[in-house]
Amino acid sequence: MISSLARILTIGRNTLTEAVRQKVLNILLIFAIVLVGSSVTVSQLATPGLDSAGIFDAQIKFVKDFGCGAIGLFGFFIALLSTAQLIPQELHNRTIYTILAKPVRRAEFLLGKFFGVVLLLALCVALMSLAFAATLYWQELRGIAAADKIYNAGSPAFAANPGAVQAYNQEVAGIVQQVRDPQIVEAILLLFTKLIMTAGIALLISTFATSSIFTIVTTFMIYLIGHMESTAREVWLARGAEASIWQSGLVGLISLLIPDMNSFTIVDEILAGNKVPWSHALNLLGYADVYLIVLLGVSIVVFDYREI
Amino acid sequence: MMDSSIAVATTIAAETVGLTKRYPLTWKRKVLVALDDLNLQIKAGEVYGLLGPNGSGKSTTIKLLLGLIVPSEGEARIFGLPPESLEARRRVGFLPENPYFYGFLNGDETLRFYGKLCGVTGAKLDARIDELIDLVGLQNGRERPLRSYSKGMLQRIGLAQAMIHDPEILFLDEPTAGVDPLGSAQIRDLILRLKKMGKTVIFSSHLLEQVQEVADRVAIFSLGKKVLEGSLEALLAEDHSTQINIPAELSADQQERLRQALRQAGIKDGDVRFTRPHLSLEQLYLRTVQGRPEPAAKKPSGK
Repeated sequence: MISSLARILTIGRNTLTEAVRQKVLNILLIFAIVLVGSSVTVSQLATPGLDSAGIFDAQIKFVKDFGCGAIGLFGFFIALLSTAQLIPQELHNRTIYTILAKPVRRAEFLLGKFFGVVLLLALCVALMSLAFAATLYWQELRGIAAADKIYNAGSPAFAANPGAVQAYNQEVAGIVQQVRDPQIVEAILLLFTKLIMTAGIALLISTFATSSIFTIVTTFMIYLIGHMESTAREVWLARGAEASIWQSGLVGLISLLIPDMNSFTIVDEILAGNKVPWSHALNLLGYADVYLIVLLGVSIVVFDYREI
Repeated sequence: MMDSSIAVATTIAAETVGLTKRYPLTWKRKVLVALDDLNLQIKAGEVYGLLGPNGSGKSTTIKLLLGLIVPSEGEARIFGLPPESLEARRRVGFLPENPYFYGFLNGDETLRFYGKLCGVTGAKLDARIDELIDLVGLQNGRERPLRSYSKGMLQRIGLAQAMIHDPEILFLDEPTAGVDPLGSAQIRDLILRLKKMGKTVIFSSHLLEQVQEVADRVAIFSLGKKVLEGSLEALLAEDHSTQINIPAELSADQQERLRQALRQAGIKDGDVRFTRPHLSLEQLYLRTVQGRPEPAAKKPSGK
């Protein structure tokens, strides 16, 4: 058991090293540039309204929406592309033969490669989150500086006006609260979970696909269906007796086979400032875990039978 | 007392019984027979050559013996074990045909990676890496990424990774393919060293002369079937013929005296031929280039 884990870790670490040395992380530079660029742009667009406290709320909300959206989008491409080429590349370069001729089970090979992608995604999400946090912090500093300017904080007149001090303190507290919202951590954790689910789907497809393109296109389609299935379920099942048994059956089958990606749109609620309890997030994590175990289990069985 | 059948079985390193591999060509509604009813018994310590044209079943045999592919019929065994078992795989090493390995790792990291997969770790792994780097002569490749390796260097690091866990059997699929004659001779010497170390080596090659130099036994394959098998001595001996080698050039007078002696022994003049033995082209090449300095190291290609 321990040696099996050691082999999975060795393969996982090697997969991560490969991605890092092949400069996959350079994509994150683009992320950082896009994030900082958008942040600067939006702050310039809002300059005429500096006297309005609400403008900063809107700016920070934009940066939060944009940052989480960008983490999701960049992460999605990294998860999809890096997982889709895991097995085809090993087969093409015949490196798989050198590994499977060693005392390594096929399941260990597959789990090791997947673990490598999870490590890569964790590293990418961590780095993107750092850039995101830095951008938010910059917005916080700008907001406080602007509030200082509006209220002329530090001047004797400001100090002598308790009403102004209270309004200033409220505004600064509002900015800090919005920037340092602990729910952002919850949102990023859910985004990360969604990325791992995407990688899991891509891994399953790649165990029987004959090309990376097929894996990418099929995973993308499943991802889209996963986003639409809950809407379809609601619409079709709301028709009650009107829905034929076939329609209900089809929707039920899709719900069973394809993970409900739309449930992760709860991240939008968090970003909108609504309170989403941790218990709900943990439920989603549990749902994702069950799906992931099934995805990996089926991947192992399919890969075991594959001719290499 | 040990049962005699078990004693015999323990000396068999690799064995196949009725081993067959078919690939269904669904679109053409045909079946490709890559290997047909192969029966082999390779003894421990033997150097066994698999010969045959491309597509004759050599690589398929090796992959089946390694448990990398599943037979359609029959079975393969490594020291009596199923080849896909971890226990069997601990006892085998494999160098695939045209190996690529991970271009982003250097020589040292490559051996470390494969060593860890085999459960070799710590000081033991360090010592083993040093030993193998020396054995395959890759001191200048330890820190270089494999993507900058020449073909010969790749084959040598491939051999080193195959030996990292000190296996008892080595499968080498075309170990000299695409390698220059000097590198090819080094690999041949390495096989001979492995033989001296008591390892079983099963290899395929197109270089017949090299096979002749190192193999104890060979099997010749054609269209997925083993068509000939035996020891080289038995297969290559020409019946009804004797060769005498004298390490000196004979004068005409000496030749005549020898003819007379042979005539007295009842051998007709027409059956006797005096020829000068020739070097093989490989021997001439090696004699010419060996000892010369190696060319400058190839620059990284930046792939």
